Amino acid sequence: MFGTLVRNLVRDLVRQPMRTLLTLSGVVWGTFSVVLLITFGDSVSKAQMKQFHGMGQGIVLVFPSQTTLPWQGFVKGKPVRVTPEMVEAIPDKVPGLDLISPEFIGSRLISYGRQQFRNTVRGINPPFELMRNTIAAEGRFINPQDMESRKRVCMIGDVLASDLFGSDKPVGRTILIDNVPFLVVGVMRPKKQNSNYNGQRDERCAFIPWTTFGSLYGTKYVSNFIFRPQDPNQTKAVTEGVKRHLAKLIGFDPADPDALAVWDTMEFEKQISVFFLAFTLFLGLIGSFTLLVGGVGVASIMRVVVDERTREIGVKLAVGARRRTILWQFFGESIMIMLFGGAIGFGLSAAVIRAVHALPQKGFTEFIGSPTLNPLVIAATVLILLTIGVIAGMIPAKSAASTDPIEALKK
Amino acid sequence: MIELQGITKIYKMGSQTLEALRGVSLKIGKGEFISIMGPSGSGKSTLMNIVGCLDTPTGGRYFLDGKNVAGLTFDQLAAVRNRKIGFVFQNFNLLPYSTAWENIELPMLFDGKNHRKRKERVTELLQAVGLYDWREHRPSELSGGQQQRIALARSLANDPPILLADEPTGNLDSKSGQEIMDILMRLWKEGRTIVMVTHNDEIAAKSQRVIRLFDGQVVPERTA
Repeated sequence: MFGTLVRNLVRDLVRQPMRTLLTLSGVVWGTFSVVLLITFGDSVSKAQMKQFHGMGQGIVLVFPSQTTLPWQGFVKGKPVRVTPEMVEAIPDKVPGLDLISPEFIGSRLISYGRQQFRNTVRGINPPFELMRNTIAAEGRFINPQDMESRKRVCMIGDVLASDLFGSDKPVGRTILIDNVPFLVVGVMRPKKQNSNYNGQRDERCAFIPWTTFGSLYGTKYVSNFIFRPQDPNQTKAVTEGVKRHLAKLIGFDPADPDALAVWDTMEFEKQISVFFLAFTLFLGLIGSFTLLVGGVGVASIMRVVVDERTREIGVKLAVGARRRTILWQFFGESIMIMLFGGAIGFGLSAAVIRAVHALPQKGFTEFIGSPTLNPLVIAATVLILLTIGVIAGMIPAKSAASTDPIEALKK
Repeated sequence: MIELQGITKIYKMGSQTLEALRGVSLKIGKGEFISIMGPSGSGKSTLMNIVGCLDTPTGGRYFLDGKNVAGLTFDQLAAVRNRKIGFVFQNFNLLPYSTAWENIELPMLFDGKNHRKRKERVTELLQAVGLYDWREHRPSELSGGQQQRIALARSLANDPPILLADEPTGNLDSKSGQEIMDILMRLWKEGRTIVMVTHNDEIAAKSQRVIRLFDGQVVPERTA
């Protein structure tokens, strides 16, 4: 029974090859769109999240600003000044902190031989490395001894390294920062970074101990500081604690919203992940509409087919076919077109995805990331395909099943 | 076998109503060979459709094998058509894209018979109508007489006790028509109940009894 059913279905589809192909093409294109749009949406989201993590993961950046509320006799507008010593003492007073680093930022002339660039120099401490993902690929990052002795050492970003040294090894060589010699102790591991604050991206920066920065340039107050709470879920509470502590120490209203500008990357990450989810869903929706058009094609062609075969339906009903049997015959045909078209669509998109993987990871492809046909994408597409297939198949099948055998036999 | 009691059929077309059958009562016993005659519009086709369970009457009762089938649903009637009734049409009504074999197999597929049973029965029927060598041919490759023999074989697939033939020789030349009549006579002699609509007095004369319809009513019977 089932074998006969399938054989007949195939014969019905092959009988009108041109029509079947055209109908199929709508479904193929629709599936192709759904798969690619969802896959690429997903992949772009992941790539962007990863690049966002390039700046650091689960960290909070605090930028001292000025007061916007009067406090204990001071009018508003008082600058909030934070020293690196204050920053490093915060963990003694505020519980729940994992890592913390002050940061001085300046733009300095960096040169080696005849190469000379004006780049960002960051004065930081060792925990900065883990928080900001500035891991040394060669050599090492700034260490506590460097801090202690205010050594003139630096770790440089990978792009700065190749700008200065070309293909030479930078570690162990001496560069000049504003004409002061610095020993290069490390080169940063290349990373993708799409977010940043004051100054250049890390790939072009030179990182030196803040102690050295302070004594060389006479800078007293940090440009900002960075911390990472032990428990990512406690970020809000820890941030509040830091605020309260500094308010008391420096003297500003703890309720002042702008005395310390806070960039909570966890919060930000939540927001952008919601945005990217919406973005992917939106793409999926567009794809679904394309597939819907394919489904409408199937439904309308099947209407024609049902019309053409009214007599056949009449004969079948007369010799004892139940309405359900007729329903399944036409429904099966629609579903078969949908599934076959879907399979081709999947194949095509898999080929495109492979092709994208073969491209070098530069510029556009870097933005896209690496799209993969993950199970979620497949499940979502199959679900959309089946939903549209069932609707597109049911309408003509229902009309076929409700044929009046007497009228049909008269045709 | 077949008993109709006061069967009426009224078609509504907008505000107009058409009474196709106005209280038809008749009895057809097991193993009878009946002809139904009458001018066009007399209600022959409607009557055949109701007897064949393709249509349901507006009023009256229809006992088939002692069971009232007037109140059955469409799918219940489908099972009755499938097992108890074989149809032969004037224009054969074979599926054009299926082979002779597949056409005969059709009613058995709807009955859910297994492959082996179907194969046996189709072979048997093809041999009985002398078209075994034509089993892989499609209707368009067969002559009218051959097509009607295939249609006859199909009507017998599930071995139904009743055979309904609507002008089975109407589209055939006299030689082919004769072959079909010979098969029908043979089936009747084997014990099947046969109800046949015809315009042809000569053919009607071969049946035991003629029921004449006029204007939706049975004209008082006379034995043929």
